[in-house]
This record gives sequence, C-alpha cells and structure tokens, in this order.
Amino acid sequence: MTSSKTPSAAEQGGALGRQLVARMGELTAQRHGALALENAARNQDFLDRGRSLAALRETPLGNGDSAVVIAAGPSLKRRDPIKAIRERNYRGCIITTESALPYCLRNGVVPDLTITLDPHATRIVRWFGDPGLDREALEADDYYRRQDMDDTFANEVKTNREVLSLLDRHGKDVRIALATSASEAVVRRVIDTGMKIFWWNPMLDDPDEPGSVTADLQRRNGLPCVNAGGNVGTAAWMMAGAVLGKQRVAVTGMDFGYYDDTPYKRTQYYNEILDCVGEAGLDTVFMRVYNPHIKAWFYTDPAYMWYREAFLEMAADADYRTYNCTGGGILFGGAVESMGIETFLDRFE
Amino acid sequence: MTSVLKGNFTPKKTVDLEPEKKDLETRFENAALKRLGGSIAFVAKKKIKWDADE
Repeated sequence: MTSSKTPSAAEQGGALGRQLVARMGELTAQRHGALALENAARNQDFLDRGRSLAALRETPLGNGDSAVVIAAGPSLKRRDPIKAIRERNYRGCIITTESALPYCLRNGVVPDLTITLDPHATRIVRWFGDPGLDREALEADDYYRRQDMDDTFANEVKTNREVLSLLDRHGKDVRIALATSASEAVVRRVIDTGMKIFWWNPMLDDPDEPGSVTADLQRRNGLPCVNAGGNVGTAAWMMAGAVLGKQRVAVTGMDFGYYDDTPYKRTQYYNEILDCVGEAGLDTVFMRVYNPHIKAWFYTDPAYMWYREAFLEMAADADYRTYNCTGGGILFGGAVESMGIETFLDRFE
Repeated sequence: MTSVLKGNFTPKKTVDLEPEKKDLETRFENAALKRLGGSIAFVAKKKIKWDADE
C-alpha cells in the first residue's frame, strides 16, 4: 500500500480525511468499477473506429526524449504554462488530459496526445463540448460552476458553445488515448469530431491475480491495460514514459490540491463532504500541506491526497525522470523533482 | 440556576464520550463510502500489461 508520509511535508488538520485516504482505493472500486466495466462492454461495438494504444509504441510523437503533461489543476490559470511552451517554441511531446484540451486549443496548441479515462456518464463530455447540454442538466449538477479550475467553465452555456466549436474545428487533428471505461457521451463526441482514437483498458484490479476483471476484459478486447494511478493526470504521465518512451517527463497543472485561499465550496468534493460531516466538520476532512518548494500552504481532500500518494509510489518505480513544473499544489518529494517549467524547457528540449 | 448547571447529583456510571466520537467516525466513513472516490483504480506495483499472455 501507499505510504502516508512524504519527506518535508508538514501537514495540518484533516484527521478524518487522513483515515479515508487509506480507503480511497476501495471506495473508488465500489463507486466506479461496475460503471467502467459497463462502459467497456458497450464500447466493444466502437473499437473498430480506432486502433489499439499499442500502435503508439511505434509512433514517435514530438522531438527528442522529453514530454510535457498538461493537466487542469487550479495552477493552470495562475501559472499559465502554455505561455512558456509557446514562447520557447517547444518541439517535444505535449500530452494533455481531456480537461486541459480546451485550454490548449484556446491557446492555439494542438497537443500530440490527449487522454480521457473517467467513466462518469455526464460530466466528462463537457470538456469536449456537450451537444445535449440543456437547462435541466445544468440545474441538476453544479460541479463545473463551483470549481476553481478553468474559470470559463463557470459560465457554462457560453463555454459549452465555445468548446463545441473548438472541437468541431480541431477534432480531426487530435490523437486521443480513449479508455474503454469512457462514457457513451464521450465516445460519441470523440467519434463525431473525427479524433484519431487509440483504445486502452484502465486497470481496475491487478491483472495478474486470479479472477481479475481487468484480465478478463483484456482477453475479450485484446487491448493493453494501463495503471492510471486513480486519475487522468497520472494516466497521461504514465503514457508519456511507459508508452511513448520519453525519458524526461514534466507535469504541469498537476496540483492534487487547492490554493490556501480557495473557499471549500469551490473544491471538487465539497457537496459530498458537506453531506458527510456538515459545515462544522469540514476542517476534519480537508488536509493542509506545506509545499517547501513553493514556500506556501495548500490544502487537499482525501481523493487528491490518494492521487498524490499513488503518484509518488509510481514515480519511484518508473524508468524515466519526473519533473513537477506545476508551481503549486502538494505533489513533491521522493522521485519527483520540482522546477519551473521555463527551466525544464531550457534544459531538456 | 447556577447551582443546577454546576451539577447537583453524582451519576452512578462514569460517562464515556469516546463511543460517541467513534460513532461519528463510523457514520462519516459509511457516508463517505457512498459519495467519495477517485476516477479509476490504482494498482500498486503495476505499469502496463500489453498482452493477455504476458
């Protein structure tokens, strides 16, 4: 299992949250395991619309042996990493999560590879533009309105129109590593916009264990199984090194936490946590972490803390170097070297 | 009134507040089980399995 301690990580509060971190794997399997398998079964009919992720092993993406992963954490708008990438005319490989794809396209950059993973039935398609978005859907889910992510997503209708247009225009230029766990809405949108699809299975359990549902899925569809580390950002980092063979991988927008001045209400799981502990109990769930590289406090929730611990474990076991160029958040220590994105680009392209 | 608030009798049993705290934690965990989670699994010590026969 993952370690609960990281060098130099001063922490405050979050006693209940800390207890939950150790159970996040179990919680995730209960919430999403069946949905991921259900989606994979339905997506079987669409596998012929793309190729296997294995095809990317023979496809050199970007110059040289470096890659930059762009995820959509709150630092994206504060640090704006694409500015440095464009100014330095970076020719290495750019990999983005689907949540950062609108940010890239809006800034005139078509990434070399985009990753999508989460099986949620209605939320993820919003990053691709949701042709079916209506008033009823907006009233039912305030997920995007609340969050401290891409500000433009707070103005939902206008942004949806903009993303629909961006993807309709650039979709045909986008390569996407499309997980078989993706929802019907995402798969339809990816196909409709003409993206080049590379299918893969996310590991849902250990494929080498008897009775593994992941192994069973792989026997049925013949696709590679990838350990996504719990989230799409980590999956993107894994693709950079273990699929594309990049030796130096920078991550940006990979906060796994929130700036200390962010109201709890603008965090991903606020409604869920509020339902569990009420207003007075919020400080027992959210954990504060001091980042000695940024010299600032950030805070996080149990899911993001779990992502962080999984990432540190995976980075320690990786055959390539990892550089966190996020400039914020709680991902540091162990095999992860922190540096500015400008330094990474100057040093490694 | 003040004397009432101070306590005007001795309880037969000592009141233990710990079970209440544990109960709160259990209720929180049970509620969290239904609401929280990541996007997908994390499998320790694994990277990629390219083929079913590996």
